[in-house]
Amino acid sequence: MIQMKDISKTYENGTVALERVNVEIGKGEFVFIVGASGAGKSTFIRLLFREVLPSSGTLIVNGHDVVNMPKSEVPYLRRGLGVVFQDYRLLPDKTVAENVAFAMQVIEAPRRRMQHSVNAVLDIVGLRDKYKNFPSQLSGGEQQRVAIARAIVNNPALVIADEPTGNLDPETSWEIMDIFKRINASGTTIVMATHDKYIVDTMKRRVIAIEDGKIVRDEAQGVYGYEN
Amino acid sequence: MKISTSEYVIREVFFSLRRNSWMAIASISTVAVSLFIFGMFMILVMNMNRMAESLESQVEISVYLKDDVKESSIDDIRGTIESMQGIDTVTFVGKEEAMKRFQERLGEQKFLLEAIGDTNPLPNAFEVKVKHPDMVKAAADEISKIKGVESAKYGQDVVQHMFDITRLIRVFGFAVMVLLAGATLFIISNTIRLTVFARRKEIAIMKYVGATDWFIRWPFMLEGIVLGFFGGVVAAGALRIAYGMVTNKIYDTLAFFPLIPMFPFIGYVGIGILVCGMVIGAIGSTISLKRFLNA
Ligand SMILES: Nc1ncnc2c1ncn2[C@@H]1O[C@H](COP(=O)(O)OP(=O)(O)O)[C@@H](O)[C@H]1O
Ligand SMILES: [Mg+2]
Repeated sequence: MIQMKDISKTYENGTVALERVNVEIGKGEFVFIVGASGAGKSTFIRLLFREVLPSSGTLIVNGHDVVNMPKSEVPYLRRGLGVVFQDYRLLPDKTVAENVAFAMQVIEAPRRRMQHSVNAVLDIVGLRDKYKNFPSQLSGGEQQRVAIARAIVNNPALVIADEPTGNLDPETSWEIMDIFKRINASGTTIVMATHDKYIVDTMKRRVIAIEDGKIVRDEAQGVYGYEN
Repeated sequence: MKISTSEYVIREVFFSLRRNSWMAIASISTVAVSLFIFGMFMILVMNMNRMAESLESQVEISVYLKDDVKESSIDDIRGTIESMQGIDTVTFVGKEEAMKRFQERLGEQKFLLEAIGDTNPLPNAFEVKVKHPDMVKAAADEISKIKGVESAKYGQDVVQHMFDITRLIRVFGFAVMVLLAGATLFIISNTIRLTVFARRKEIAIMKYVGATDWFIRWPFMLEGIVLGFFGGVVAAGALRIAYGMVTNKIYDTLAFFPLIPMFPFIGYVGIGILVCGMVIGAIGSTISLKRFLNA
């Protein structure tokens, strides 16, 4: 699913965010990217959907050569991915259902499938009954669930999330993790950056630890390994 | 484009124009004003071109005969001229014919001739056309030496002067048109920039979920085209009225000024203005979006 070889990223201002990173992530895996603030987790995530380009190295995501792909192909890379952010990024003047449907509309998905797919993913995240609400009428956890529904509505092979529970209390975080677990159980690969020690330690999944832009640990059933 | 996408695009444009209706009206008005001036210069330049062309084709030598030349020698003179190098046609215009033409040209101002009563001061003449404009001077010089010829005039100075003026107006008019097109571009792209800014979150999300640049661009582009179109409609209407007034005025006072007739000319100008407005609108919105699409 993801092959990252010798990837380095230096930002325009000279900050080295990642240095010679080698990672291989298979189909169906559930992977945590952990590390202190500023370690390079978000940079790692943003490389995957080509929000930033690496300075050197090769990167294949879901069969797309991210480094050498023409700009016109980027949308097709992203259609195979679902992205979830810490700050939800919903459209405030659209309802729950409209926010989710929006992701189908803008890739010109067939309209007759839309209603059905939107209902199905709202069921998965448990928000079917709030489809008419606006984001401002939802709690933070509910908003994040809408964002997850939007991320999976086009059946991506890979879901990437950058600190999706960063703004949520522990209990709500667990509800969110439960949804991710279920999405993963259906075969979708999940890569999640987080610095929530409790979640990582409890889930016992693969953990990739980054420090100062370098991978310092990659364990199949790892733990967070830092004191928060 | 899929039907659902066309619907989406049209709905987006409609909502956007309604949301910023005052802005839209303001920019349509400004676009209209600048396209109107643009059109004025277009009309001016085209009329100048036509005038220059008609002058060019009219370069001919007027050969005036002395009053005492007898009917019989008129044919001799014609023969002499026709045998010269580079002569195309020679047409005789008798005194009476010349007077008749003059009256026709004056049209409603014929009354001016009442002052001279029944006398006819116009001489017998030949109108001589040469094969090339640059032969005019030599031919005129030679013709003026023929016995019985009073003078051979071809108005070279006037023609040259007109050419100079039309070239100046063409260059100046073109510069002004380019400038106005630039101003229109600026107005439209600024209006679209506001829309783009208001919807930057939406654009960002569209990009995350894999919308193509063209899908994102369409509604904004169409919005720019709509602004350009309506600005163009207003400008074309105003030009139609203005040109109507100008042609009326000129026919009243300067009867023989060769203005291009209103129809179908003003229709072509109108279409030109509309197309310009729409193209500028499309380009303007593309410029406004560029930064957001590349980000
Ligand atoms: N757009 C950017 N321009 C310059 N430096 C950046 C940019 N984004 C992140 N950085 C820097 O790169 C390093 C890694 O950042 P980031 O990937 O956001 O880490 P994390 O998500 O682990 O906190 C930090 O030093 C950060 O300041
Ligand atoms: Mg981060």
